[in-house]
Amino acid sequence: MRIQVTAEACSGCRLCRQVCVVEKFGEVNPRKARLRIEARFPVPGRYVPHVCDQCGDCAEACPTEAIVQRADGVYEVQPELCTACGVCIDVCPEGVMVKGPDDIPFKCDFCWRCTEVCNTGALVRVE
Amino acid sequence: MLKGFGGRQLRINLSTGEIRTSPLDPTFARKWLGGRGFVAKILYDEVPRNADPFGPENRLVVTPGVFSGNFGPSGSKCSFGAVSPLSNGEGDSTVGGHFGPELKFAGYDLIVFQGISPKPVYLFIDDDRVELRDASAYWGQGTMETEAALKRDLGEDFEIAAVGPAAENRVVFACIGHDYGRQAGRCGVGAVMGGKRLKAIAVRGTRSTPLHDLPTLKELTLRIIKRTAQHPNMAPWQKYGTAMFVGWSNEHGVYPTHNFQTTYFDRYAGIDGGPLVERILVTNKACFGCWMNCGKYSKVQIEGKDTVYVEGPEYETGSLCGGNCGFDQIEQVAYVNWLCDTVGIDTMTGGNIIAFAMECYEKGLITRKQLEGHELRWGNLEDVEHFIRMVVERRGIGEYFARGYQAAAAYIGGGAERYTCQVKGQGMSGYDGRGAPAMLLAYMTADIGAHHNRAWTITMDEDLGKDVIRGKAKVVVHLQHIRPLFDTISSCRLFWGEIDVTDQEHIDAIKLMTGWDDFTLEEAMRLSERIWNLNRAHFLERNGGPGRKFDYPNARFYEEAVPSGPAKGARLTLADLDVMLDEYYAARGWGLDGNPSREVLEDLGLEDVATNLERAGLLGQLSAPLPPVRGEKYKPKAF
Amino acid sequence: MMTVYLKGGGLLREYLQPDVDEYTRRVEVAEGRTLRQILEAIGIRPVHVAMAFVGNRLVNLAYVPSDGETITLRPPVQGG
Ligand code: SF4
Ligand code: SF4
Repeated sequence: MRIQVTAEACSGCRLCRQVCVVEKFGEVNPRKARLRIEARFPVPGRYVPHVCDQCGDCAEACPTEAIVQRADGVYEVQPELCTACGVCIDVCPEGVMVKGPDDIPFKCDFCWRCTEVCNTGALVRVE
Repeated sequence: MLKGFGGRQLRINLSTGEIRTSPLDPTFARKWLGGRGFVAKILYDEVPRNADPFGPENRLVVTPGVFSGNFGPSGSKCSFGAVSPLSNGEGDSTVGGHFGPELKFAGYDLIVFQGISPKPVYLFIDDDRVELRDASAYWGQGTMETEAALKRDLGEDFEIAAVGPAAENRVVFACIGHDYGRQAGRCGVGAVMGGKRLKAIAVRGTRSTPLHDLPTLKELTLRIIKRTAQHPNMAPWQKYGTAMFVGWSNEHGVYPTHNFQTTYFDRYAGIDGGPLVERILVTNKACFGCWMNCGKYSKVQIEGKDTVYVEGPEYETGSLCGGNCGFDQIEQVAYVNWLCDTVGIDTMTGGNIIAFAMECYEKGLITRKQLEGHELRWGNLEDVEHFIRMVVERRGIGEYFARGYQAAAAYIGGGAERYTCQVKGQGMSGYDGRGAPAMLLAYMTADIGAHHNRAWTITMDEDLGKDVIRGKAKVVVHLQHIRPLFDTISSCRLFWGEIDVTDQEHIDAIKLMTGWDDFTLEEAMRLSERIWNLNRAHFLERNGGPGRKFDYPNARFYEEAVPSGPAKGARLTLADLDVMLDEYYAARGWGLDGNPSREVLEDLGLEDVATNLERAGLLGQLSAPLPPVRGEKYKPKAF
Repeated sequence: MMTVYLKGGGLLREYLQPDVDEYTRRVEVAEGRTLRQILEAIGIRPVHVAMAFVGNRLVNLAYVPSDGETITLRPPVQGG
């Protein structure tokens, strides 16, 4: 189960970021999205989506073991155990963990909204 | 609390450096909606009628509208407005990309600049932090260079709108560049920005826009996304963007060729969408929140030249800087596109001006000596590159072209006006109106001069007859209300035009964003008409009347027949144009002199404007009763 | 006779008068007809078709469709 990324197809529209925040925070504010689009412009002219691949680095780094893996493989933050130290955000290799209210980190939980709106084939849901 | 908007406005006096932030008035927001609406109202109210477009009293208005940054069917646009140095009337130009949304996320719906900065500055916005900063390090750099430099200095997550050397030197058709290749190109808004010594605006915003009913809006937008992903136009649009229509417009004899001398370019095959995608495309590129990406980002390699990257060419550039200048290879067109983007001139009026100069050269009206020993031949890249530099640096004869059509034609003499393919100083878009009379009428009457974004009628002209003059004006009026409406609400017109997102769906989205439950399509269309009349009044108050005398194109379009191609023989006479104008003014409720009547202005709630016009002796007299609804939707006849 | 499916959106829909689904019109034609002839037979002027595709393949109006084929038609941009 993963989000398959085809960078060459990405148009940099950020609709994925927008829908992520609409879904997760009920706001329009792409800065809070749990995925990001790196724009390599003006040269070579390429967008590179960065998404969570549930690698678990965040869980490993968390001093209070507040990030745990669900049966389906997705890592989840347990807010009641979290001390908002932010280590997980720093270690995330894709740079896709974000601070939410009270500085509690948020991460991708494979809700698939981004893959549903991405119309270029850059993000595809793979089981 | 105002929903759907950022909620704040900025007033910046560049002469004194004073910056004021204040809340956006909700009544004002509802009445003028944002984008082009804010521009029209602010310019009308604030710029003295005798103020020079390059003087301190002109305003530069920057405004994302209600859709910008929102979660509706598109939401990427931002309008730039100023009294235009091209037309000396209201000017507005809209740019996509990510700039408008970013301003919105910083909480601003409106920035109004006035004054002239004593030294080059740029405006820095990081949410609440707003500063004018020294821009001398960037002065002289190209638009894309400036963007890259500012992103390097401030952070990749800043969005930049910047002008290039053309704007610094007040070349009247200078544009504002953003996102490495999108422009607020028309009306010379860049020239006004550069004239104010404002090199760039850099913005970062981290706020959430307050919305009335996001859950329902989300449902609506997701439904539209799902539906339109299956639309038959979607795949070709995503693959080719607008460039593919070079072929189509040639086959139907509306493609501007050699400065609109004819309407068919026999070598168009090398500059169509096919070669673009096959030979130079690097990546597709979309505006914020757009799932139909029309942008094509290209890499151009031409022997003996630096490799350059440019967004485009889209259709307008592919025609006006393509066959209109005699270029038959996509790499050449893309290179000219890059040249224009870098120095910061509009590829549309720019492409027109280059073609105009080329024709003058062809006819011996300008000489090699005047071109500093160079030539200016159709389809010659070196010649064009040199000419653009002369214009941007205002060297020699370039000085006159930099001041616009009128100055150039007057200087050149020998009847050069005939070759200035423009209306009100704005170069024509990439469709020739001789085989499409309503299209010509649309250019003639557009508030900002010859621009296709106000109304586009080619297929209707074909349907009803290419030589049919009568009965089309009402449709032009309708289009002039519906199409610019998208620039007012800051969504992309192409969702409506290309993939059948309905006008009503846009209105539904606005209601969900703002909570204006009683907002209707009729209200929006009336607003569009109010803006149109306000701009007309503004134009007249600045330029005098009667309005009619400004509504003609150059003589080519009513004296010369199309000499070749599918539209061969098509011609219109001055009498034809007059018939169309009469019909058009009647459809608008204006006098036959082209001046708005008191009746129509009062109907639109513009009593004060009627009084101003009356005082100036510019009020029109109705020749027939005021039509209760102005404009009529075109209904293709069923077969 | 054979059956060809024409698919189109935007303004084209008004001319196409879809009957199969939202965008698709079913047309019975004699074999060997070009796309141009088929369009003319149902009263669609070529000006309303800027591009035509069979699957992902771009074809022109001289294309001769075969039985059961779907042709996606693309109207001109409403002012690019
Ligand atoms: S939605 Fe798709 S195309 Fe758009 S930015 Fe995200 S990954 Fe790229
Ligand atoms: S269709 Fe083109 S111009 Fe419109 S929002 Fe999408 S990318 Fe931007």
